[in-house]
Amino acid sequence: MSSPRTARRLNRILGMLPWVIANPGAKVEEVCDRFGYTKRELAADLDLVFVCGLPGYGPGDLMVAYIDDDEVVVELADYFAAPVRLTAPEALGLLAAGMALVSTGQAPGALERAVEKLQSVVLPEGEDAFVVDLSEPELVGRLRTAAGDGSVVRITHTRLAGGETTVRDIEPWSVFTTMGNWYVAAWCRLAGAERVFRIDRIRAAERTEEVFTPKTDPPPPVVRYTPSEEDARAVIRLGSRARWVVDYYPLEVLEEDASSTTVRFSASDPRVAARLLLRLGDEADLVDGKDVATALDALREEILIRYDHEE
Amino acid sequence: MQNVVERILNLLAFLLTAERPVTAHEIRTTVAGYDQSSDDAWRRMFERDKELLRNLGIPLELRATDAWEVEHGYVVPAAEYTLPDPGLTDEERAALWLAAHAVRLGGQASGPEALFKLGGAPMAAGGEPLAADLGAEAGVLAEAFSAVAEHRLIRFDYAERSREVAPYGLVHRRGHWYVVGPELSSSTVKAFRVDRAAGMKAVGAPGAFERPSGFRAGDAIPEAAWEAGPEDLEATVAFDADIAWWARRQLTGRAVVAEDDDGAIVATIPVANADAFIGWVLSFDASAEIIAPAELRDGLLTRVRAAG
Repeated sequence: MSSPRTARRLNRILGMLPWVIANPGAKVEEVCDRFGYTKRELAADLDLVFVCGLPGYGPGDLMVAYIDDDEVVVELADYFAAPVRLTAPEALGLLAAGMALVSTGQAPGALERAVEKLQSVVLPEGEDAFVVDLSEPELVGRLRTAAGDGSVVRITHTRLAGGETTVRDIEPWSVFTTMGNWYVAAWCRLAGAERVFRIDRIRAAERTEEVFTPKTDPPPPVVRYTPSEEDARAVIRLGSRARWVVDYYPLEVLEEDASSTTVRFSASDPRVAARLLLRLGDEADLVDGKDVATALDALREEILIRYDHEE
Repeated sequence: MQNVVERILNLLAFLLTAERPVTAHEIRTTVAGYDQSSDDAWRRMFERDKELLRNLGIPLELRATDAWEVEHGYVVPAAEYTLPDPGLTDEERAALWLAAHAVRLGGQASGPEALFKLGGAPMAAGGEPLAADLGAEAGVLAEAFSAVAEHRLIRFDYAERSREVAPYGLVHRRGHWYVVGPELSSSTVKAFRVDRAAGMKAVGAPGAFERPSGFRAGDAIPEAAWEAGPEDLEATVAFDADIAWWARRQLTGRAVVAEDDDGAIVATIPVANADAFIGWVLSFDASAEIIAPAELRDGLLTRVRAAG
């Protein structure tokens, strides 16, 4: 195997050469800026190009590449004048990223044009064949703006697990989406701690007059679940039709065979596990977990009482 | 590393200027860097180099060197080597670069490799307080993506059956990727969740199907999980006042909602997937009730009694 570093270096050389050839007199600084080079790295790559070329490998066969004062000179390298086509993962990655942001309705016009142009070369005649839609809930834009300019926001939030509603002031750091849900990562003044809130559980969000100094180095935007001692734990056996649960909840797989998957589920509230079991019906069995069993029975009772009448 | 990079640049320069298929033997004896003494060492080296070229996106084909097809040689077809110039401005490249930073696919953001091919961009990272994780296994998705681009059929296992599908499109919506298209044996366009398809692989030659004109892949993806399926039911559901806001946020434009004076709502909802629908109603605990039809009401009760 050739190392990924070798591939990256080659890729950069094959990207830089066409650009320099198309832009004679290119300044060292601009080439460095554009291709993420330090001046030293650029010089090393040009030195390397200088000893490569066509069979014969004498003067006239080798490419010419060097730094002249503050300009990059490349000659006798016309066979590298065209950039290499994008691989499928490269085209997919760029296009998906661009479309995702465009779908939020808040992308700059330049991104919209870039996506359109890229699509026309990567997927000609397939304008509507590739779609990335982040379908943003209404408050995302407001929270994102507040994160950008450092405004404290007062939110009305309803917890998913217990249903309690609270009003709190937060210092939003970033908004992000994963698995189809949107979240805001913030410093929560009520809790006096870092918190991640699901945005669709925020009923109202108003900017306050107060500002905060945005964190220079906020934690990465991910949904973190930190298990704690007080968590409700349960061992659940999932039938094959309930196997999808593994991909959606932070849980530990204990055992797996062709027909079932046994997992350890932990959550700060036993109702989270109880609700999941309700939803799965006979596709899952609660193997162990007293608190969850109690919560499930209570929930079941409430629902059966509600339905206990003739329509 | 230096040696490998030099050798590959020499090889590529040779292939791009040859204008005819060149045999492995010719490469070994002509291109600088291949003067290996042992046959084995040379073959291993050449295999690695071919692999590296392909990973960079450089097409390498084996063709007959003459009409009698006695000998075969390597060609880098110019038309497929080159990227058609999309004509991006610097501003557009910079916008793409920022987007690539903010969005992750298969667990990571795109590296700068693709952008280098497009002419590079001043790489100021950060500043965008928004991030998106589009999930998915990048390899599987890339396979589906190129099949869509090249009009190749794809084969995969889905819901306990092997299928061959003409992939008209690829869509990401509500956190999931879908391949959209008809199965070979049918003309009905369906949406298949990529994460539930196993062993997805492009098969056969490019140009295997025509996408109908005016086709819009997004239209094939239902807005709610219970809108995707074979059933055709209409449910009436009562939602209590305290959770009505939450129900409203999840209902699609196809539901009809009536509100009481106290804020409780009754919604009439088209249901195509009873299973998914019951699961959704249950997420409201006892604060929602399926009023009709009996079929869904009983389905919910059966599920509640069986749970645990």
